[in-house]
Amino acid sequence: MVSAIFILAAALAAAFLLGLLKDEQRGVAYAITLLALAFMTWISADWTWAFAMDGAASVDIFTAGTEPPFAINLRVGLAEAVLTLIISLTALLSALAMKDALLALGRRAMAVLLVATLAFCGIVLTRDIFNLFVFFELAAISTGGLILLSDDERALAAGFKYLIVSQVISILLLIGIIFAYHATGTLNIDGMADAAQSILPGSRQAFMLAFFLMFMALVAELKPFPANGWALDIYESAHPAYSAIFSAAGGAAALYAVDKLLLVGGTAWLPAATGIGVVTFVGANLLALPQTNDRRLLGYSSVAQIGLILTVLGQRDVLGDLTGFVALGLLLAHSVAKAGLYWLSSLVAGRELSAWAALRGHPLMIFAFATFLCLLVGLPPFPGFYAKWELARVLAAEGRIALLALILFGALIEATYLFRWFGYTIKRDKPAEDIACASGNVIAICVAAVTGWVLGYLWGDAANVMLGRGNLLLALPLLFALAFLLLEWLPAWTKNMLAIAGLVGYFALTWGDYDPLRLIFFVIFLIGGAVILLASFHAHGRRVGFYPAAMLMYAGMTMLIEATDTFGFFAAWEILTVGSYFLILRGKHSEPHALSYLVFSLGGAFLILAGFALAASGAPLGVSPRLTFALSELAQVAQPLAPWVFLLLAIGFMTKTAAIGLHIWLPGAHAEAETDVSPMVSGILLKAGLFGLFILLMSMGKQQLYGIELTYVMLWIGAITALLGNLMAIFQEDAKRLLAYSSIGQMGYALFGLALMNHLGWLMALMFVINHYIYKSMLFLSVGGVAKRTGTRAMYQMGGLIALMPLSFIAVLIGIIAMSGVPPLSGFGGRWIFYNAILESEYRLPMVVIFLSGPIAFLYLFRLIHTIFLGQLKDEHRKLKEAPFWIVLPQMIYVVLLLAFAVVPGIALRRVDEYMNQFFPTGGLNWSGLNISSPYGYWDPIAIMIIVGCIFMTLFLWLLFVNRKAQKVKQFNIVFAAERPYRPETTHFAWNFFAPYRKALGFLVQPFVTQFWGAITDTLHTGADIARRFYTGNGQTYAIHLLGFVVAVYLFARGI
Amino acid sequence: MIRRAVVLALVLAMGAIFATLLAGYAPDGDLNLTARYYADRTAPDIGSANIVTAIIVTYRGLDTLGEVTVLFLSATIVGLVLAGGRRRETAQRPPVPVGELLTTGSRFLVPLIMLLGVYVFVNGHLTPGGGFQGGAVVASGVLLMLLADPLKHFSHRLIAAVESVAGFAYVVIGVLGLVLAGGFLDNRILPLGELGALASAGAIPLIYSLVGLKVGAEFSSMLASLSETEEL
Amino acid sequence: MIAQIAMATGFALILIGLYGALTNHNLLRMIVAFTIADTGVNIVIVAVGYMAGRTAPILDAAVPAAEAAQRIIDPVPQALVLTAIVIGLGITALMLAYAYKLYQKKRTLDIGKLTELKW
Repeated sequence: MVSAIFILAAALAAAFLLGLLKDEQRGVAYAITLLALAFMTWISADWTWAFAMDGAASVDIFTAGTEPPFAINLRVGLAEAVLTLIISLTALLSALAMKDALLALGRRAMAVLLVATLAFCGIVLTRDIFNLFVFFELAAISTGGLILLSDDERALAAGFKYLIVSQVISILLLIGIIFAYHATGTLNIDGMADAAQSILPGSRQAFMLAFFLMFMALVAELKPFPANGWALDIYESAHPAYSAIFSAAGGAAALYAVDKLLLVGGTAWLPAATGIGVVTFVGANLLALPQTNDRRLLGYSSVAQIGLILTVLGQRDVLGDLTGFVALGLLLAHSVAKAGLYWLSSLVAGRELSAWAALRGHPLMIFAFATFLCLLVGLPPFPGFYAKWELARVLAAEGRIALLALILFGALIEATYLFRWFGYTIKRDKPAEDIACASGNVIAICVAAVTGWVLGYLWGDAANVMLGRGNLLLALPLLFALAFLLLEWLPAWTKNMLAIAGLVGYFALTWGDYDPLRLIFFVIFLIGGAVILLASFHAHGRRVGFYPAAMLMYAGMTMLIEATDTFGFFAAWEILTVGSYFLILRGKHSEPHALSYLVFSLGGAFLILAGFALAASGAPLGVSPRLTFALSELAQVAQPLAPWVFLLLAIGFMTKTAAIGLHIWLPGAHAEAETDVSPMVSGILLKAGLFGLFILLMSMGKQQLYGIELTYVMLWIGAITALLGNLMAIFQEDAKRLLAYSSIGQMGYALFGLALMNHLGWLMALMFVINHYIYKSMLFLSVGGVAKRTGTRAMYQMGGLIALMPLSFIAVLIGIIAMSGVPPLSGFGGRWIFYNAILESEYRLPMVVIFLSGPIAFLYLFRLIHTIFLGQLKDEHRKLKEAPFWIVLPQMIYVVLLLAFAVVPGIALRRVDEYMNQFFPTGGLNWSGLNISSPYGYWDPIAIMIIVGCIFMTLFLWLLFVNRKAQKVKQFNIVFAAERPYRPETTHFAWNFFAPYRKALGFLVQPFVTQFWGAITDTLHTGADIARRFYTGNGQTYAIHLLGFVVAVYLFARGI
Repeated sequence: MIRRAVVLALVLAMGAIFATLLAGYAPDGDLNLTARYYADRTAPDIGSANIVTAIIVTYRGLDTLGEVTVLFLSATIVGLVLAGGRRRETAQRPPVPVGELLTTGSRFLVPLIMLLGVYVFVNGHLTPGGGFQGGAVVASGVLLMLLADPLKHFSHRLIAAVESVAGFAYVVIGVLGLVLAGGFLDNRILPLGELGALASAGAIPLIYSLVGLKVGAEFSSMLASLSETEEL
Repeated sequence: MIAQIAMATGFALILIGLYGALTNHNLLRMIVAFTIADTGVNIVIVAVGYMAGRTAPILDAAVPAAEAAQRIIDPVPQALVLTAIVIGLGITALMLAYAYKLYQKKRTLDIGKLTELKW
């Protein structure tokens, strides 16, 4: 092992040596710089390995041959080694990324870079407070120098602003240090911490003040909101590769310095750290919302992340041993992601966020971009995810709910603007200028992306060893999905076969493990998924990005079923959310809809997280806080926590099922998705929410909050969702939107059934799960096929397609018969169980509402057949062919399935019915042979099928007989003669088909909910847009902000 | 106006914080633990008569290395910042004549100043003074030369070489301390000698001489860079 | 008492410097104001180490090594102040260079006019 002092010595020696070179020998100078940085990286990596793998104890390095506190000492432990590694590695990669700029400025710039790296490492290593000051000044001055690397002229002013603030900071720090020295008689941080325990009351106040000044000075280095205008200007204007260092290395170093200083201050200062941290996290994220400059946006995000980690440090009193795991996880995720994003930004020519669309066509870069975003947001399987989970768990257990809420709110905003940016990248017009693929940059980005995944593995491993959570990156479904990333070079059909084989194979291997209820969902998720994937055979080429996203979603759903504890369930939930987001985003016009889907889903996920955390805190068993919490233990959550847990989880799940009020993401997301994606997200993904509700109700049952029965509220929500969903569907002109709104209504039915809380209600909900999967997938496929052929989704532009696309017609016909719940198909079975269930329960009023929505469903379904397939064929559609084979094939499978399920519903439902006896012993159905009976009557599917079939055939034959001489009407039906109307569609009979109903019921479908959420986002945006004007750009004002910040914290701390 | 009022209020609030510090301040009657250690142990352990020097060069040697680096950094960056603005050779208007007194005086004084500078940093472990002070004195000699002859061209390469060699040697001595003695920057790689003698205190005179050279070179380089800037 | 007077002076200089730096719009005036504040800091540092009736921490005939602990003032602030001075000087030099360059590019020394980066 090489002593860590060589990290500093090597950088200095190299920096001084560079002066001996001639100015022209820039290549040599660059090589020396890289060599020195690589050497520093190697030493840190070596130490990191020793600590992490061999569990070595931390080592003190004495200088001057004298023991501390009389001479300066350095310390390397695991944290120090990791941080110096991240600092020197970032510097090394940044040096690669800014090769051109370094060569242009020459050896002096390289020397400054070396000193900057050394300074950040020194801040981490030193245990002496004044030495810390020296390293901070070195860092500040070298930052002032490296800003010059930028070709942005404004960087100069940013540098000056930074120097002004540095002056103020160093004044505070020096005064603080000298008085702290006076009070404790030492400059050694550990010595000071010891001495602080035994300070006489007389000098206590002076010491506290001195500490306050030091603390504020170091906190100011963390760019706390709102005293951070200078930092944002640097982020925006510096060379991006330097911004990477400034954000990743500088942030890490300053945080560690604050962490060391908090040793001296003791627990009394933790609330201050928490407060400053969380205000910074939320404030900076809010102000990031209206940003349009990529580098400034990243600056805001950096500030926010550092604030979050400061919050975590401030929660050390409750996090205990977990502090390192959480803080380091967040810090490394931030450093790797931020550095990677800054390097990426130097590839992109434009500074607008939408200019990143230039990355499109470079799958590797898009992959890296997505990796960095997921790292930042803390999605599984990255370290931030584990950190988020443990943080939430501990905060809830300690009753710090408000803090948890603030953190989750901030995180949601951060996810919003980051993924909005990703949406721009994937969907906006590609700028003329392609990205500048400098090799150094690309290497740096790739290393960062790989590091991100390695960190994910390491944190999963640590979580597994320390806390008994499974390592997500060892979960087979997830690995299978990720494997598709490596297979992207294969043609789509090969990947499709692999995907189908994977789904079916995994099902075959594991289906025996589950109870009937889970099994039904499992079948729908995996086998159902495989059937829809058949449609994907129609795609040509490689279809880059589709399979990783789709398989990620399926992996999440599989893991959802497999989950036994809350952690596994939540991880699966987030995985399926991310996967489906990427999948939805693929649609042509789906950019805003995918975003709103993601925001609602993540918001719901955070509620679920809070709910699980709260549940674990109140469990009566074992020690609190519990490490693992089985899903089944939800049943044991005690009052008064239980209803709150229920509420959080229910709302979380209902975002996924698009209950009214939380539904606005659905129509766009489902309608704009690709042809084979719509059935996946509608037919399958929605069921994940229902699965969650099943789990919730199964374990927690009825809950009361302030005397209100929560399931009763859900019942009403279900009824209203069904009614309004259906109502909104009838006014749609767009066929896929119609289907999407219909899904809202259908989910309302299912929710209603669940909330009935009786045997038949649940059975009916399950029936809906199965039915809705089949007919909605089928309808989306056939309508998608039609839309593909006609090139439009507006129904009034179609018509008369029955002869050209007979198979699609049959699918739609069967689909709407099944869906509307008329005999003989399975929809009727659903209705039958449904009405039985209603009769059994005591709620009459919501029943009326749900009855009402039945006929409304009929209205919109009728339009599908009538407008698309019947009527006059459009001129331009004369040469249309049937939808592609691979899109029709699954539809035909569904037709068979629907018929089969209609005849023998018992194959699926019978076992579930028995299974449900353990929850609701009474009220089950009687299954005798093919005959099913309830207290209110019986249902014989076969007989119904035969009767209806006979009636249909009779009528059909009679019609053929009567109409045998009918003449076809020629198509010269010109409705307008001399004038071309401004909007031609207004003259079409199918346009605004239900205008009379709109007059009567239109008020019900006013987009109040959309307006409500719109108003919230607008308020946030405008508020942030006004608030950010606080950063006037005047360096002096920034210094005043800083001073004001110090005084404000002082007054606040005194007040407490 | 509002700005002034706000700043005044903030400065007064800072004043209140400082006033509390001042009111709570009581001078120590005895040396505290750290200072006492230095008072007692400097002579036997370090062998330097000037305790402050012992602290600066040895006990807190890492700070001093950092400090030297700060100067190095400043000189480098000043050079970088001003590099773009240097248009020295091309058609400059003739300098204002500096006068006989300054020219002659500087010829007489510069060698003396340089000598004094060297004396100050070589004797840093014995008398008040040391590398920084000595280096500053040397640089003031350079300043005098620049004042006397504004067009005088200093070889940046020479300055840079002195600076680099001195800095590199400083790091090497530090590492030698790690290898041969108790730790990085330990001065006991050379014999401690007799307290109060010129050749005493181990490596301290050597280090301080290097620091003196380096600081002198850095200040000179900054002065030279600034003097070569185009007049605005 | 001398220590307190020196310290009060130092604090006053800091406050004056800060006030000047935060109200003057001219870059050069700001830099000068900061050097005043830095000087104040240095005075405070030295004042903290002062002990009445003692002498400078240099061992010679007047202060033999054996009596050093009773005769000298605290040497640590003296050492620190040297570092602080040098660092302050470094930053001042840097700020001056920046001010020069800014003037060269923008033809202004008014901090209020260097606000292209904001929000």
